[in-house]
Amino acid sequence: MQISSDDFVSRIASDSSLLGLMRTSIVLVLAALLALAPSCKNKSTEPAGGSAAGSAMGSAVAETGSAMGSATAPTPPPAPAGPTDPQIAAIVVAANQVDIDAGNLAIKKTKNPEVKKFAELMVTDHTAVNKGAVELVTKLKVTPEETDASKGLVAGGADNRAKLEKLDGAAFDKAYVDNEVAYHKAVIGVLTSQLIPSAQNAELKSTLVGVKPAFDAHLEHAEKLQASLEGGGGSAMAGHKM
Amino acid sequence: MKLGLILLVAVACGSNKPAPKILHVDIRGMKFEPDALAVSVGDTVEWTNQDLVPHSVTSAAFDSKAIAPHATWSYVARTGGDFAYNCTFHPMMVAAIIVR
Repeated sequence: MQISSDDFVSRIASDSSLLGLMRTSIVLVLAALLALAPSCKNKSTEPAGGSAAGSAMGSAVAETGSAMGSATAPTPPPAPAGPTDPQIAAIVVAANQVDIDAGNLAIKKTKNPEVKKFAELMVTDHTAVNKGAVELVTKLKVTPEETDASKGLVAGGADNRAKLEKLDGAAFDKAYVDNEVAYHKAVIGVLTSQLIPSAQNAELKSTLVGVKPAFDAHLEHAEKLQASLEGGGGSAMAGHKM
Repeated sequence: MKLGLILLVAVACGSNKPAPKILHVDIRGMKFEPDALAVSVGDTVEWTNQDLVPHSVTSAAFDSKAIAPHATWSYVARTGGDFAYNCTFHPMMVAAIIVR
């Protein structure tokens, strides 16, 4: 199942089952991801020499300016409609690292073997994806460029871990897995709506497309684990055993 | 002359048995492609991991352990049977080889 980022914000806001503390950190991370859209729109329509503004506000101002400008000045040359390839590289690396760090914390803290197995898989897979991403951008001679979105991801991940550190036992497991479900939904949403459409280099775009099924599988796994924890803790992957 | 005829018949009979083949399965997008493959005893099946994450090819009869991204693992089908397999890392990935 796939939802839009906006749907996801609404769900987070209305889902009373999520712990309040998790909601805060998820929204922080999501806000970082969503910052992509307005900031990119701002960039594409901002007149040359215009000053930077808050992302949402800047977007609205830039759109007004663009509409007014169209009556009195030549249309500016088309600009990329989303993050640049160096910015995408930084976002991808940050998004993976956030999940690696959360996974390492879960491996250390959980006593639930299914949660531990899931956390180990997150560390293995996201480490592998980051290795592949770094190898690709090195080959393409693309230097990752940090943005508010990538910095926000890192900050949101640190905030999440700080809150998880204070939990133990079943409370920790639930908070970690709930966050993994929400985080993967958010990342898949932004990957689909922002990063893949914006990627300019064909190999980078192909890599982003190729990695999405792994994130989809992680989400499916996390949702099964979440249901298992809520139902008393049976095997989350029992239906998949050979 | 008689010996030559015997040799010719022997070679002709031998050529009826198909040579072992190498068949390929791609691991791509968290799927095995194809997800069902019929092979003959003696054939080699070669799996190549085209994903960025590690996978395995694991059944009751064989186990590749972790196959790194872009790496390949081979299995020679020596006994007949239907062999369902999955990836131990991502158990929702399932497929089968049918050895005849």
